[in-house]
Amino acid sequence: MHGLGELEAAVMDVLWQERPLKVREVLDRLETGKKLAYTTVMTVLDNLHRKGWVTRELEGKAYRYEPALSRAEAAAQTVRAVLASSGDPEAVLMHFALSATEQESDLLRQGLRKRKRLAAS
Amino acid sequence: MTVAVSLLFGAALVGWLVPRFLARRVVSGGDPLVAVVAWLASATAVVATTIVGVVLILLPGHGFGQSMLTALHNCWSSIQHGSVPNLEATTGALGALLLLGLGVRLVIVSVRSAQRRARTRADHLAVLRIAARREGETLWLEHDDPLAFSLAGRPGVVVATEGLAKQLTSAQVEAVLAHERAHLTGRHHLIIAIADALANTFPFLPLFKLAPGVLRELVELVADSAAVRVCGAEAVRDALLKVSRNGVPGTALAMSGTSIDVRVDRLTHGRAPTSRRRQLFSCGLAGFTAMTLPVLVASGAMFAVVTVACPA
Repeated sequence: MHGLGELEAAVMDVLWQERPLKVREVLDRLETGKKLAYTTVMTVLDNLHRKGWVTRELEGKAYRYEPALSRAEAAAQTVRAVLASSGDPEAVLMHFALSATEQESDLLRQGLRKRKRLAAS
Repeated sequence: MTVAVSLLFGAALVGWLVPRFLARRVVSGGDPLVAVVAWLASATAVVATTIVGVVLILLPGHGFGQSMLTALHNCWSSIQHGSVPNLEATTGALGALLLLGLGVRLVIVSVRSAQRRARTRADHLAVLRIAARREGETLWLEHDDPLAFSLAGRPGVVVATEGLAKQLTSAQVEAVLAHERAHLTGRHHLIIAIADALANTFPFLPLFKLAPGVLRELVELVADSAAVRVCGAEAVRDALLKVSRNGVPGTALAMSGTSIDVRVDRLTHGRAPTSRRRQLFSCGLAGFTAMTLPVLVASGAMFAVVTVACPA
């Protein structure tokens, strides 16, 4: 399962560098260390198409694959999806400088204000 | 009965006062990790003391010869005979039922939220794995906003945007990544999940009610001080200022009055983090103190009552 995910990432990497490509051309450009089967790459591309990562067009007998979004667009969409979920109270991810403000408590800041007042007086 | 009531009183007092005390300690420069340990230990101690208190009410005279079941049976038979069961048995039975209900609720809430977290995490990872470039343990997203976050799990991942690398110096980037890695190694996501579950189950005492908010801020301070150990306070502070000032489009982040203030203040005026060994010792001490505190308070209260009520 994990291996398949890595493969999807590698295939998208190839397509983001050069497009559009046929399955055979993707296979030739993949640098995964070991030789992959044609059908494996075809399955991966099929999965990516089903998940909406790539679009395809029939050319002759074979499909030509193209990324649905540019890498930057995909990144932006990912960031948006991740930020949208950060409002929920589930402790899945933590931002470096963005806390769930509604969950924040005043306790520490009250203390800080008090200390600053004391320091000022 | 006296012992039971003092225990309940001790638990309530600790649940009421400990948050304020810990917040004051942290704001005046105390180690946030010690505060986290003390908070969680106090929560455990308050729950345990309450359970013991309720059980003692159900065992009148603390004579353990009469079991809880007999007490319940007596209570039931007196109801059947049309008489009012004695006060101890009623309050005890009610308390036990309430505790049992809360316990079941805690389990259900925890399991449900764990499942939800696993789903959200899997969704995020599925997208991140493809959209981001992997470099060692960090996933890099081709995005201009300077952002960094950590995603819980085994193993967790740190995600950063290329905007972060562009707008921050390499020392500052290293500080941000060290901060995020500290969240993962410290299992901070789990701490927050526990805090959420506790607050959902026992929404009465400040110790439980405030736990999600305060612990969220405390683990940020813990991660900051871990990053300070690696990269120095200046790099962490400058990174924090840069990233938070930039904010994120679509999410209003007002600088003043957020936990960022507390963090920046600490990074500017705070002392250097103590050695690991000393930190471990302080955490152990704080945990032990917090665990025994409700019982100590209860004994104190009982002693006071006895002195006042029965002057020798």
